[in-house]
Order: sequence, then structure tokens, then C-alpha cells
Amino acid sequence: MTRFLPLLVGIVVLAVWEMSVRLLYVPVFVLPPPSMIAEALWTNFPQLLDALLETLKLTLAAFAASFAGGLALAILFVRSRLIERSLLPYAVVLQVTPIVAIAPLIVIWVGVDHVERAVLILATIVAFFPILSNASFGLRSVDPGLADLFRLYRATGRQRLWLLQLPSALPALLAGARISAGLALIGTVVAEFVAGSGEATGLAWRIVESANRLEIPRMFAALLLLSLTGLALNAAIAQIEHRLLRHWHAGHGEAG
Amino acid sequence: MLTLAGIGKSYPNGLVALDKVSLDIEAGSFTSIVGPSGCGKSTLLRMIAGLDGPSAGSIQGRPDGEIGLVFQDATLMPWADVTANVYLPLRLAGVSRLDAAPRIAEALALVGLSDFAGAYPRALSGGMRMRVAIARALVTRPRLLLMDEPFAALDEITRNKLNDDLLRLWREQGFTTIFVTHSVFESVYLSTDIAVMTPRPGRVLARHRILGPAARDAGFRASAAYLDGCRAVSHDLERAMAAAV
Repeated sequence: MTRFLPLLVGIVVLAVWEMSVRLLYVPVFVLPPPSMIAEALWTNFPQLLDALLETLKLTLAAFAASFAGGLALAILFVRSRLIERSLLPYAVVLQVTPIVAIAPLIVIWVGVDHVERAVLILATIVAFFPILSNASFGLRSVDPGLADLFRLYRATGRQRLWLLQLPSALPALLAGARISAGLALIGTVVAEFVAGSGEATGLAWRIVESANRLEIPRMFAALLLLSLTGLALNAAIAQIEHRLLRHWHAGHGEAG
Repeated sequence: MLTLAGIGKSYPNGLVALDKVSLDIEAGSFTSIVGPSGCGKSTLLRMIAGLDGPSAGSIQGRPDGEIGLVFQDATLMPWADVTANVYLPLRLAGVSRLDAAPRIAEALALVGLSDFAGAYPRALSGGMRMRVAIARALVTRPRLLLMDEPFAALDEITRNKLNDDLLRLWREQGFTTIFVTHSVFESVYLSTDIAVMTPRPGRVLARHRILGPAARDAGFRASAAYLDGCRAVSHDLERAMAAAV
């Protein structure tokens, strides 16, 4: 029963929205009724879908790049304190600097001819940190007893990494991946806003364009697609998480 | 014979964990190290395993080949099933899965877990997890098995059953066992030799030899050898505690 509550709330909100907009004569360019948004979605669908695929492509590429880069750097950090000491402050600087502020610079450097490259780099910077910090934490959260066993049996560094550290890091790594995927989408959208020009073809740029032309229903339609994309990404990673961790969720803590 | 000669362990903060511990452990014996918490018995075991280095003294006569090690916690890999957990020592030694299969099956049969080869640790009870840990320790056919309070966290019925199983394995396989415990009764029931240790700093206070049949069962708990052993070891443990205060 409670499963359907969000759906019910959604229907009620849409109904109230539709009726009040019509009854109060709210201008369409301020708040279009849901029916109009649906219509805009329908008529602009091919164009919006292209834009969505472009945004999704960049999001997934940024996510993959941050996952690979963050994990590789975390492995390096766990191997060598010296490297961690030397590089971590810069990773933090990158993390705390607002992406909007560095965007123009990146656009000038790489994005003049290839906006999508600038978007990719910016989104990767945003999505990178949760992977790095969660993977570092996970790689260190090895059961000390298991670490002793690996020493007793004279495991090589490579065996320890593949058979002990990476599996131990999996829950933290996947939690980081979930955050990172969301940030990759946010990063892509923000980067498209900032870096976008006539060349940009992503969904975010459709929103800017629609706003400029006061095509507010189309803007809402694009917004709706973005939300659904975020939800789908989140659900996909939750599914992967469930599959990979189903054997040890309960056994993760104390013996039960 | 495994010889510990004048083993000392002190830490930079001045704590002396072990002080001049000398101990001969006969090949094929079942030796228990009994003492209150803080007497450094686990540290001693880690040194025998080679996981910790002594600050003074030396350890001689470690057997060739692998050493088996079992902790108080089963310490299984939660992401791997029983077979993969038992395979670990062989895998780390570079034995292929195919070559390891019969030895894994044998080790699982020894601890009575043949039917659970594909189970994951979280689906097993505490006692079964401990059996997996024992199978993993035995899969390399070690000449020396080190156990650090392996059954302390289990209920008494399970503990008694595992005690009997361990004795059977020890008799059949002929490995030397060094068993750390704080339970007098458990040590007397299992051991041929017992060393009682004092806490802070850890020293060997007394040694006992438990006579009695190699094949022991519940009847042994009523025998004179068992009762005398318990009395003598308890007495020394009290002395060890008194010495610490």
C-alpha cells in the first residue's frame, strides 16, 4: 500500500497544478499546465531524445573516467603514503573549487572547437572525488585477520590487491559510484550551461535555449527527461550493488 | 621440536608484553598456552606464525611448509563461498583450481562440511564458520596448526563438539597443535602439554603434562587424569593472577 503513496501524491499534485493554472489564468511562460508539458514532450520528442542521448553519453563517459581515475589513484594512495601526502591536497582543491568557476578556463583550453571535451572534463572533475575517497577508505578497510592470513601465506602485492583489498573495498566503492553517477549528471548539465554555445547539443542546452525563447513547456519537458535520467542512473547502480553484494550484506558486520 | 628461547617483546611505550619466554614444543604434541588476558599468549602465537618479530630471543625448529592458523573469529571472506575460502591458501601458493579441487574436497570432508561447499559465510552458523576456518588451515596439510582461542565465541555444546572433532583431526593427521585459550577445562581436555602464563609481563609460570588416552571423549571428563589436571592448572592460573597484582 505504502508503495503507491508517492504515485498518489504525484497524481494529486499534477491535478491541482493543472486546475489551478487554468483557473487562475497563470501565463504559460511562467508555469505551463502539465498537459501542455506532455504535449511539448510529444512534439519535440525526436529532438529532445537526441539531446538526452548526447547528455547521457557525456554523463556516462565522465562517470567511467572518474571511476577508473578515482580507483587507480586510490590504489596508488593505499600503496604509497608518500604519493597520497603529495597529491591528496590537490585533489581536495579540485573538489572544493566551484566547477562553475573553472569552467570558462577549461572551455578556453580545450573547448573552443570541441565543447563536449570541456563538458567531459568538467563533469569528470565533479564526479571524481567520491570515487577517490570511498575507494581509499574501502581499500584500507580490510579485515586485519584476513590481512594476517595473506601475510602468513606470503601473498604477493598483486594477490593482496585483487583477492583482498578490491573485494573488501567493494561496498564502499559502490556507495561512492552511486554518488559519483549522480554528480556526473549534475556536472554534465552545469558544464553544458556554462560551456554551451550554439554548438552544444545536450539536454541542458535545450533548457537554456527554451528559456531564451520562452518556450517554457519544452523546458519543463527537458527537465522531466533529466530527472528521469538521474533516477535511471541511480536505479542501475543500485541494481549492480544488489547483485554484487547480495552474498555478504548481512555477514558484513558481526557474526549473526 | 619447536624451541622458543628467551622470547621477549617490549613496545616503544615501555610496555613489556613478553619476558624471557622459553618453551619446548614437541613435534606431534597438543600444547595449550593458558593464561589470563594480557599475558601475551596471542602475541606469542603470532611470533610462532612469523607475523610478529620478537624483541629478544629466537624461535627455532619451525616445520617446513605451511603453518595453519585459526583465529577466534572465523575470518572468512564474506564475498567468497566455502570452497573459495578453503581454496585461498592454495590459490596464494599458485595451485590451480583444478589441482586444488580434490584437496579442498578432502579438507571439507575432514570438518564435515562436504554438503556446504557452495554456501556463503553469512548463511552459516558460528560453529560452521569455524569449521570452514579449520578446513582452510588444514588444506595445505600443515605440520603445525596454531589456534588462537578458536572456540571462545561459540556456545558450549558447539564448543564441545568442535573440541572432539579437533582431537580426532589431530590424532589422524599428526600435526603439532599449539592452542591458546583462557579456559582451564578446555586446555586439559585437549592437551598433552600445557604452559601456564602470567600477565604483564608474560612469562611461563608452569608446565603440565596431561596423561590419559590420546582418544578422549566425554568419559575422560570424569577421569582422575582430567580432574587432577584441572586442579593443578587452576592452581597455577591463580598463582599467575596473584603474581600480576
